[in-house]
Amino acid sequence: MTKHTVSRRAFLMGSAALSGAGLIRAANIKTRSWPGNRNDVQCGIIGYGPQGREITATLTRVPGAQVAAICDTYGPMLRRAQRDAPEATRHEDYREILDNPDIQAVIVATPTHLHREIALNALQAGKHVYCEAPIASSIEDAKAIARAARDATGQIFQVGQTYRSNPQHRSVFQFMRSGAIGKPAMARGQWHAKESWRRASPNADRVRELNWRLDPAVTTGLIGEAALLQMDVAYWVLGELPTSVHGFGQIMAWDDGREVPDTIQAIFEFPSGLHMIFDATLASSFDDAYEAYYGSDSTIVFRDRGKAWMFKEVDSLMLGWEVYARTDRFYKETGIALLANATQLDAQNVDPTEDDPNIETPLWYALQEFMDNHAFGPYPPAADWERGLEAAAIAITANQAIMERTQMDIDPASYTLD
Amino acid sequence: MQTVQMALNAMATRFELLLHGDDAILLRGAGEEALAEIKRLEQQLSFYDPTSEISQVNANASKEPVRVTPRLYSLLRMAADIHYETHGAFDVTVGPLMRCWGFVRGRGTWPDDRTRKEALTKTGMDKVVLDDADRTVAFRQPGMALDLGAIGKGYSIEEAGMFLRECGITSALLHGGTSTMTAIGTPPQNKDGWPIGISDPRDHSRMLTTTSIRDEALSVSAPKGKAFQKNGKIWGHVIDPRKGYPVQGAALSAVAHPSATICDAISTALLAMRRAESKQVQQKFHGMRTLCAYHDTGATDLVSLDFYSTDPTN
Repeated sequence: MTKHTVSRRAFLMGSAALSGAGLIRAANIKTRSWPGNRNDVQCGIIGYGPQGREITATLTRVPGAQVAAICDTYGPMLRRAQRDAPEATRHEDYREILDNPDIQAVIVATPTHLHREIALNALQAGKHVYCEAPIASSIEDAKAIARAARDATGQIFQVGQTYRSNPQHRSVFQFMRSGAIGKPAMARGQWHAKESWRRASPNADRVRELNWRLDPAVTTGLIGEAALLQMDVAYWVLGELPTSVHGFGQIMAWDDGREVPDTIQAIFEFPSGLHMIFDATLASSFDDAYEAYYGSDSTIVFRDRGKAWMFKEVDSLMLGWEVYARTDRFYKETGIALLANATQLDAQNVDPTEDDPNIETPLWYALQEFMDNHAFGPYPPAADWERGLEAAAIAITANQAIMERTQMDIDPASYTLD
Repeated sequence: MQTVQMALNAMATRFELLLHGDDAILLRGAGEEALAEIKRLEQQLSFYDPTSEISQVNANASKEPVRVTPRLYSLLRMAADIHYETHGAFDVTVGPLMRCWGFVRGRGTWPDDRTRKEALTKTGMDKVVLDDADRTVAFRQPGMALDLGAIGKGYSIEEAGMFLRECGITSALLHGGTSTMTAIGTPPQNKDGWPIGISDPRDHSRMLTTTSIRDEALSVSAPKGKAFQKNGKIWGHVIDPRKGYPVQGAALSAVAHPSATICDAISTALLAMRRAESKQVQQKFHGMRTLCAYHDTGATDLVSLDFYSTDPTN
């Protein structure tokens, strides 16, 4: 890891951003005082598709943030922007946002292959940048972005690998790192949905642009555009990066002339010997999305954006807190719910076995970290350029293995800058 | 001409979408975007999901003003306007009253006077402070909550319909639980519009009447199964939020209007109104057609206010 200087003030006040340390932001008692004031960070959103809209909606509820400008190249999206954020200025050219000295931070939510030019220009223009994941669709682009982010000292560069900022994930991360599953055996993940991935527009050129996820020249496929956040959790909790990937891809449901598989399987090999298998499909929604980590003492399953359960082997040791914990039935299995902040909830007179009533979405916590960093940093975000480069390199290589139905080594050099 | 049919389970109901057009691939793509918007709104508006924006408001708005997203703010503003136009008969804060009458989990019980009055103090859109400048929501009383159940489905259908139009769809019908629907254009074989049957609340195998809609929304409401008997009278689950008692208004109401949001809200409000008041309300909304069935005389009394006029602008 690169060494970063963390100011004392940041250390005292911005605990949420200390990656891996899992320090959860002091309780979940949020004070929401709003006079939307002049000190709010003026943010520009570039790319107003579904993710840009979600970010805008979330950002309007993050204290200290102001959505000041929105850019999209397509008229109907700007009309949506007007309804979603009436105070924001609207632009068809993102350079207008970069040229505006009042804009302090930029959120890049365009199609993946367009990130490079925008992120580089935004950093060049002195803006703080939040870049959606994967950061790029080629390793060359990913490295160019990572290099620019590394060299832009004093500017924040955060990647949209949101689970890294999520208190629920941080809490389970600590728990897993303390050896809760015993000796790890294997890992498995899935992302299942029934949808075509086709987007429609009355305008033929726009249809081509909109369907970039199905363009083999620029897409990172299901493993990059759907599974990336879940796989990012795997690298994090396992504490290692894969050395090779074996990919498979098929068109099983949507045989409409597409070349990008609608169903994939990828097997990742990690240095410790552990293997993880991930499958994703657009053909079936069965059992949604989850990741499972299997060990000699227990299996831990993440699902529903950060909820987690532990399924114990009968011969594993009884844990002290187990008797008080909430359990949920999954057919014949019983899962012990792993809740962040259980003791703090108890102190607030909230039943610690209930879900936290003040819980927010992972995206909210990620954007809050971005804003806190602006106020108290800069310090390296939990999802910094290094995490972004690693995840992109893996996704790009895995997608290549899937497209070629082959096994590929992941070049360790792709994870780092020279 | 190709046809695509799609469905989504959300908001405790089933949404169905029928699309006609030249290219099935594009029809499906448009439909997926529209249904995804409904799914997104479900997450935002859900009363039961603790991470929903509405839950955040409910958890905090009696402590301090809570800032909400612009679109939720305009929806709440609209709910407040409809509350005003319906003289309080439409009220998204009616939760505490419903609970005190036992209609939330059970079949209903007669509350004592104190409980009912206590619940009334926590009910009323007029006790919700909406600040247009800061876009914040605050409750004047602790224990209040917003439940958008009577407007959220219509709103989602209206928003989804707008997405379909933006995607270039010219012929589609979208409904949620067959009670609220919006129509884009006409079906290929019927240039008058989409034919809709309204079933008799007393005998669902019978049609009360039929109508057709074209670039218009329609919502039908009727008191559901929950009811109890006291003093020889049947008390249904429609509570008049103004008085705090169950009311005997329309046994069925159907509302057609360009906005599915307004249709959904007004069809609910009409169940808590008598004939004269219904007429006053209908006249306030330009282009609104309503049909109400009353059972108070024993027989089914159908009252149409422009309902059978095919051109809503007449």
